[in-house]
Amino acid sequence: MNTIGLIAATTTILTIWFGHVLVRELEARISRILPAILICVLLGIIFEIGAWVSVQPAISAASGIIGITFLWDALELIRQEKRVKIGHTAANPRNPRHARILLQYPSATTVDIMDRNPRGSPYTQAQIESILHPLEIAAEEKTE
Amino acid sequence: MNPFGLVIGFLTLIIIGLGFVWVIFGERYFSYRWWPYVIVFGLVLVGSSMFIDNDYLSAIVGVIGASFIWGSTELKDQAVRSELGWFQYRANKIRAPFEKSREMGTGPDK
Repeated sequence: MNTIGLIAATTTILTIWFGHVLVRELEARISRILPAILICVLLGIIFEIGAWVSVQPAISAASGIIGITFLWDALELIRQEKRVKIGHTAANPRNPRHARILLQYPSATTVDIMDRNPRGSPYTQAQIESILHPLEIAAEEKTE
Repeated sequence: MNPFGLVIGFLTLIIIGLGFVWVIFGERYFSYRWWPYVIVFGLVLVGSSMFIDNDYLSAIVGVIGASFIWGSTELKDQAVRSELGWFQYRANKIRAPFEKSREMGTGPDK
């Protein structure tokens, strides 16, 4: 039995999951993302050095995977902000940076449009608009 | 000095990157309802990595298995993304075995 594969797999799943949550929660809460990006890059480099100096293959592999996911997370922080700008992720109006995005980008929204199950057919633009602006659509229908 | 972890880390980056690609195309042509088969495939890969003597190969098979396990959980979100028009939507998908007998994704709300 060789446990290297199992250790690598477990590390991969845990770090992808952790990175997923970290990027989403951190980007929504912090007012400046550059320090978080730099910390992720720094942690990534530290873990990669750890992988390089480690003699134990299991520790070396785990450290290499953790390091690379931190570097990936640094990139994902930038991509997450872009998702907020285009409305693919809900903006947090209590975050000053997100509040500015909401003012500057008409596509930005506080509605989490991804919070739904697949329904088996594509949405029309009108249906998407009614999800994003339910009150405005209802008011328009009332006046008509 | 041990290049093992660096090599595995770099290959993990490529495997995760490819994971994005197969999730997009997998959902487009096969639908998200294949997710239980994908997760089982991932678990089988992780399990089989334990019977590979070569450390490099064992680690890579384990990471590929992990990316399938994670990807299986992403298929459902990808289905919503394509329905919202963020990715190409394909109506004619290859149905998963026993699809009708399983109740999944019955409505737009979670």
